[in-house]
Amino acid sequence: MVEFIFLAPLVTGIIAFFLPRPSGRPLLVLTGAVHLLASVLLWIYRPEAILPDYFAVTPEGLLSLMVISLLFFLISIYSTAYLKQAGIRGEHVFIGSMLLFLSTMTMVTLSDHIMVMWIAIEATTLASAPLIYTHRSAASIEATWKYVLICSVGIALALLGSVLIALSMDIGGVDVPMSFSALADSARRLDPLWLKTAFVFILVGYGTKMGLAPMHTWLPDAHSEAPSPASALLSGVLLNCAYLGIFKTNKIMHAAGLGDFSGAILIVFGLASILAAATFIVKQTEYKRLLAYSSIENMGIIAFGTGIGGMGVYGAVICLIHHSLIKSSLFLTSGNILLGYGSRMIDSTGKLAKRMPRTFVAFFGGFAGISGFPPFGIFIGEVFIIMAAFRAGHYLSVSIFMISLCVIFGGFSNHAMKVAFSSSASGKAIEERSAMVWPQYALLLTSLVLCFWMPATLKQTIIHAVTTMGGGF
Amino acid sequence: MIHSVDTILALVLLSVLFSFGSSRLPTLIKVLAFQGIIVSVVPLFFGHEMTTGSIVFTLATMLIRGIIIPFSIYLVIKKVAIRREVEPVVSYHASLLAGLILIVAATFVSPKFNLPQTGDHILLLPTAISLLVAGMFLLMARRNAIAMVLGYIMMENGIYLVGTSFSVRVHHIVEFGILLDVLAGVMIMAVILQNIKQTFDDVDTALLRTLKE
Repeated sequence: MVEFIFLAPLVTGIIAFFLPRPSGRPLLVLTGAVHLLASVLLWIYRPEAILPDYFAVTPEGLLSLMVISLLFFLISIYSTAYLKQAGIRGEHVFIGSMLLFLSTMTMVTLSDHIMVMWIAIEATTLASAPLIYTHRSAASIEATWKYVLICSVGIALALLGSVLIALSMDIGGVDVPMSFSALADSARRLDPLWLKTAFVFILVGYGTKMGLAPMHTWLPDAHSEAPSPASALLSGVLLNCAYLGIFKTNKIMHAAGLGDFSGAILIVFGLASILAAATFIVKQTEYKRLLAYSSIENMGIIAFGTGIGGMGVYGAVICLIHHSLIKSSLFLTSGNILLGYGSRMIDSTGKLAKRMPRTFVAFFGGFAGISGFPPFGIFIGEVFIIMAAFRAGHYLSVSIFMISLCVIFGGFSNHAMKVAFSSSASGKAIEERSAMVWPQYALLLTSLVLCFWMPATLKQTIIHAVTTMGGGF
Repeated sequence: MIHSVDTILALVLLSVLFSFGSSRLPTLIKVLAFQGIIVSVVPLFFGHEMTTGSIVFTLATMLIRGIIIPFSIYLVIKKVAIRREVEPVVSYHASLLAGLILIVAATFVSPKFNLPQTGDHILLLPTAISLLVAGMFLLMARRNAIAMVLGYIMMENGIYLVGTSFSVRVHHIVEFGILLDVLAGVMIMAVILQNIKQTFDDVDTALLRTLKE
């Protein structure tokens, strides 16, 4: 019953649009819990889909699904407390859109058909647009407009790419269903020229959604204008969904023996994103935008690792999982800071360690994790990527990669120190709700535990996901 | 030998030029509705088997691309636009010249692709390429937010033309899903347009410049 897992939040999401104000919140948490339970069952039993042409349980899909499910459950708990304190207009729209967003993202992770994947990714854009517009200010409408227009146009290019894959099937005389798994099996017979063209369009299209430079311009606006639980979802899992589209297409490229071509393009886009993030992080003035640029950096790292291939792909998947866990916790924490200080500017904050001690722990833990301190997961992933790059002989690109990471680390820690310790107008303690702190602790703890002890089944699934790209060791 | 499908595709090419030169939004919408209808009937001219499913699907596409989408944008204009100009970044004359060059280039490039599927429909590929690039051109060269949405729809029309003519393997249910996504996307853009108008009192995207860096 694979389809149940995205149909359930679809139904509850539609119901939530018609529920009165406070009764949507328990529904949000309940759906999150059911979804998490269903994902765990899916992981254990790995059933067949009812529509095997369109949906399938793949290792990379399972990994993303597990991350989505865990994150959504914790974020839904945070959201109930956040909604109590923030008091936003149109709460039923917010909750309904959150659930529809969950449903569409789950559909992305389970879809195996190229076109169904496109439908699901475009649907995530549509379901998340109302979330960005929650505050109904001039800035949020601008962010929503940019998000919907840039992503829709970008994803339209991915549709063109998907159509071109069909064309390469026609020319190559391949008559199989248009599913990723079937195409990977008969990839050698696809027309290589059109497959390459298709890959470029798909990479630009889904890359727009993933936040790769230079198509990233919507990302900082959308992440900073959305309410914090929505930003956490956008950054933590939406970007992964777009990456999944690129990852699966790259698998076909590798199966067709065109891995070098796709790898080179991924490396270029990855480095461009890291460089763009390095430029903007250093002189950033708002902390939510700072986190958004850090997401662009991490997506760049992941694209770079995927492009390097071999051990780098393993590192990229490790980075992907830990980025989701840590970055979503940081965005939730930024929600606490925003509610406490009432400003998005870094300069208006300060003395976080003294005024909000419990939030400070989450903030600083997240900062340490995301900037790649050992022993956190991002560090391990980056080491894998750098080792793989040296082995493959990409000396120039790996040196750009490392220098940019250092610049970003310097810029990020400078801002983080300001938020945590610089002087503030008042030294009074700010009230912190427990439900708005421990979801972040849970996320960070999960990330930390995964660094030291990775369950065998998880490791198997990751290795299984990356083997076709020469992953593993 | 000239096929009937080439005749109507020639009309689409002319409509591209017409859209580049037109300064008023209602005209642009009519052009888009015309393109939507033509693009959705093109698959009927290919010798595929006519099943009930494919006819129903063609009618649904025509209804959505040719009528519902243009009409919903038209309703938005009636509600929001005081000035119905498209506010060009690139002047109309320059746009027209660019359009001409685009069509010539597309026609010149198309035979080089050597696609067996297009057969003797010589205008099919040039039209698809022209629609795609023309849509992007409208997105970049017009400041009016409604004209940008129309550019997006034109791009989608181009992709649809590529899709239906070259691939028969995708089931109608999947194509219908794509169509629904496009429809929902345009609807959401329409809602945002109304909110932009309420907040800024105009739909000129030059006003949307506060978020930077």
